[in-house]
Amino acid sequence: MQASRARLFKEYKEVQREKSADPDIQLVCDDSNIFKWTALIKGPSETPFEGGVFQLAFSVPEQYPLQPPQVRFLTKIFHPNVHFKTGEICLDILKNAWSPAWTLQSVCRAIIALMAHPEPDSPLNCDSGNLLRSGDVRGYQSMARMYTRLAAMPKKG
Amino acid sequence: MEDDAAAIHVIKSLSSEDDTDTGSCCPICLGPTLQPSYLDKCFHKFCFNCILRWTKVVASKHRSQPSSVKCPLCKTENFSIIHGVDGSCFQRHYVNEDFEYSFTLSRAHRYRLQCYYTEQGFLDDVFNISHYWKSRKYCQPNSWLQSWLRREIQALIQEEDVDIIVYHIFGVMNASLTKREQKSHMNAPEKVQEEFKTSVSEAARPFLGARTERFVYEIQLFLASGLNIEAYDAVYIQRLGWSSPGVNTQISDNELIDRTTVIPYIAKS
Repeated sequence: MQASRARLFKEYKEVQREKSADPDIQLVCDDSNIFKWTALIKGPSETPFEGGVFQLAFSVPEQYPLQPPQVRFLTKIFHPNVHFKTGEICLDILKNAWSPAWTLQSVCRAIIALMAHPEPDSPLNCDSGNLLRSGDVRGYQSMARMYTRLAAMPKKG
Repeated sequence: MEDDAAAIHVIKSLSSEDDTDTGSCCPICLGPTLQPSYLDKCFHKFCFNCILRWTKVVASKHRSQPSSVKCPLCKTENFSIIHGVDGSCFQRHYVNEDFEYSFTLSRAHRYRLQCYYTEQGFLDDVFNISHYWKSRKYCQPNSWLQSWLRREIQALIQEEDVDIIVYHIFGVMNASLTKREQKSHMNAPEKVQEEFKTSVSEAARPFLGARTERFVYEIQLFLASGLNIEAYDAVYIQRLGWSSPGVNTQISDNELIDRTTVIPYIAKS
């Protein structure tokens, strides 16, 4: 069995075993393909993403864990480090700073941390980055909150 | 072969126990740690193949071969992978060394190294060193000595290229013995032996350090045996056994076999 497959099965087992360990993350593997995963993560509290549930799509390469998984937001999000249209995420550990000791679960945790601590100096969403860089925290927060309401919360009524 | 099977069985049974305990899992494959290996600075533990593969991935991203690799767990810079630890010796794979050219201690090398952890003198009843000196057997050249010295020094300092040290020590030995030859009739055998020990010790000490005394004793034992390397090893093994004093000899040998078969696959990928 490929190393990547074996490792993903281990992660799958771990996710099943520790389902309640991290209530903010819900990782689900595609029924027919161990290399495709989706995750539901809760927006961190005291951020404009609070109360929202965001869906992530994982595409795991054959060389995993020597190569990082590709992750993107399926849920629309207004965040300096997430591409507004494609959902692509700019996060060092998903690129140069990847380490094979990361797991899909810990990548989700890193993304939650990124939501709480945006890096406006390496923006994929310039509008969002510029708001923060110009010091308009309030403007950024209200835009982010609006998109959280629109896209990441169950529709009322 | 039977021993191999037993060792594999032990590894497997250990593995299945480890499976539930995440503490002993390799952080890269998340499975039980096979051929446990440690990074030389932070001592984090990985499977040998896992950390070696990761090192190669890191190296492939650089234009020139890097000399260090960051630990996947703590990001400490490490320069080598320590592996094959069996209580009495270990092997070291440097990050920037090409695996094909790296030196792996053979089973015989490892065995010789283990001999240095035994009590000196348990073969004295088989090979009589003082008789060797008294009967002036040292006047006869020993054609296996140089090869024997090479293997011994390779095992002791865990380096492949020891030619210079071998020639140096071999030269000092020959000089010491031939000098004696000329006026051997005047000297008492004990004195010849003492002078031999002193000069060889002096020559070997810079390279072998604390193991020098035992090394000089082992040289005399080999010379006194009058045997070739194979026959000499056979006597040693007969007396000492393969598995003692290192407990894990069988398993570590297994690992060696395992590794040589796995590496070509990594090189390709």
